[in-house]
Amino acid sequence: MNIFIFGLVNSVILALIASGFALVYGVSRLANFAHGALYILVGFATWLFLNRLGINYIGSIFLSIVIVSIIGGAIYRFFLIRVKGMPASEIIASLSIGIAIMELFRWRGFIGEAYMLPPFVTGSVSIAGVMIDWQRLIIIGIGLAMMLSLWLFTHHTKVGLSLRAIAQDKRASMMSGIDPDRTAVIGLAMGSALAGVAAVVILPLGSITVETGYMVLTDAIAVCIIGGLGSWMGVLAGAFLLGFSQILATAFIGPHWQMVVVLLFIILTLILKPSGLLGRQKELEERV
Amino acid sequence: MLYIKNLMVFYENALALNNVTFTCREGEITGVFGSNGAGKSTLMFTISGIILDIKKTEIMMGGERITILGEIQFGGKDIINIKPSERTRRGIVLCPERRRIFPESSTLENLKIGGYLATRQEAKKTLEYVFSLFPALKDLKKREGGFLSGGEQQMLAIGRALMAQPKLLLLDEPLMGLSPAIQSKLIQAVKEINEKTGITILIAEQYAQPIFPIIHYGYVMEKGTIVMAGTAKELTDNPHVKAAYLGA
Repeated sequence: MNIFIFGLVNSVILALIASGFALVYGVSRLANFAHGALYILVGFATWLFLNRLGINYIGSIFLSIVIVSIIGGAIYRFFLIRVKGMPASEIIASLSIGIAIMELFRWRGFIGEAYMLPPFVTGSVSIAGVMIDWQRLIIIGIGLAMMLSLWLFTHHTKVGLSLRAIAQDKRASMMSGIDPDRTAVIGLAMGSALAGVAAVVILPLGSITVETGYMVLTDAIAVCIIGGLGSWMGVLAGAFLLGFSQILATAFIGPHWQMVVVLLFIILTLILKPSGLLGRQKELEERV
Repeated sequence: MLYIKNLMVFYENALALNNVTFTCREGEITGVFGSNGAGKSTLMFTISGIILDIKKTEIMMGGERITILGEIQFGGKDIINIKPSERTRRGIVLCPERRRIFPESSTLENLKIGGYLATRQEAKKTLEYVFSLFPALKDLKKREGGFLSGGEQQMLAIGRALMAQPKLLLLDEPLMGLSPAIQSKLIQAVKEINEKTGITILIAEQYAQPIFPIIHYGYVMEKGTIVMAGTAKELTDNPHVKAAYLGA
């Protein structure tokens, strides 16, 4: 039961982390390696608003998510747009921007365990004999709600449908009057906002460090590779597979195996089925 | 409606379109005929503006240098430098060669994407019209585009283009790879679209024969140049056209 509940929490965390990355890739076929940086950016921004500017918690969260989506859109509009269509350059450019953002925080002295966000609700409950804190239950709730709303958004709204259209055939979408650059800016802004949502619900579990950014990026890439880039069901499948494997490895082998499992899965997937469990991207092995 | 003057398109030094001048009159169906490599698709890409995106990609990838010269007037304005999505907004809608349906979206979603620029009311009205034009699509609403047959995809492609509220509809090889029975069905549908809605249509095809009955005016292209122009009857009676395109 322990394994089931914590596996579930871990899986939802991974799905949350990966959904922004997957959305951006799905829309603009762009592997956004600045994803982890945007994630911790929201963490630090929320912390700053909360503790330095004295804005209340909800306001801080809202403000930093808005800011990160503007930054995400701007990254595309001013940098990535120039290397669009060249996968290697896209990865190098976005990774450099990501590293620049993360190391900027380190340089400004954001080091150590001092940076923490308070949980939304303190305390814990017992479910079937397992003690679990409210924050983790909130993560499950928000994670599932976000998946559902993303699905509704991409299937039933004009903007959502156009995002999927661009992902499938850019030129055919242009013929329907969709502006691919504008849509990609929207996509990246939304992907960044998703990273932000993930950050504010997950970060209260621990402290905000620069290293978190690198780990989040690795996790997001792992989930997307295992599940298959460009597939929503793949993201869910990848998140659950990885989420439970990590918990099982922690329980039976040792906690330091968590990261090993991630990398092992990436390698196994690339060897056995490079397009991922449910992916349709044949050229994936060249891209990541 | 559409007036093209001295249009030239180069891929590096190869001339894809050579000094093309022609007109599509409002409310008429105009045909462009030519074999593979005659420049029909380049012409369609140039009118719809997709060539600008191809050019951009080529520049970025260090590929072929594409040069576009000349004039394309639509509704009295030169549009040669206007981006494709804006041209669609102004009413030039391309239904591309090989259909290019969104394979992972359902039939209905494909049509909705086509109606991206339309208002809710326009979209609803056009959707009803598309389903009345191609009743087969109505039963396939939920099926993914990639699982439709060639004929169904072509109907969907035309339907999707109609959803964008075109004033000028460009059809690039709509009959490609289809059986004669489906071909004649589609040709009837094209004729009906033109007669019922008054949409101006420019249609590019290799197989001239089935199209001749519905066009008002036609052009024959060879190696990027227009070599002949005339009404359907004039073209049909021409010995060169007879030999090259009608198999007589």
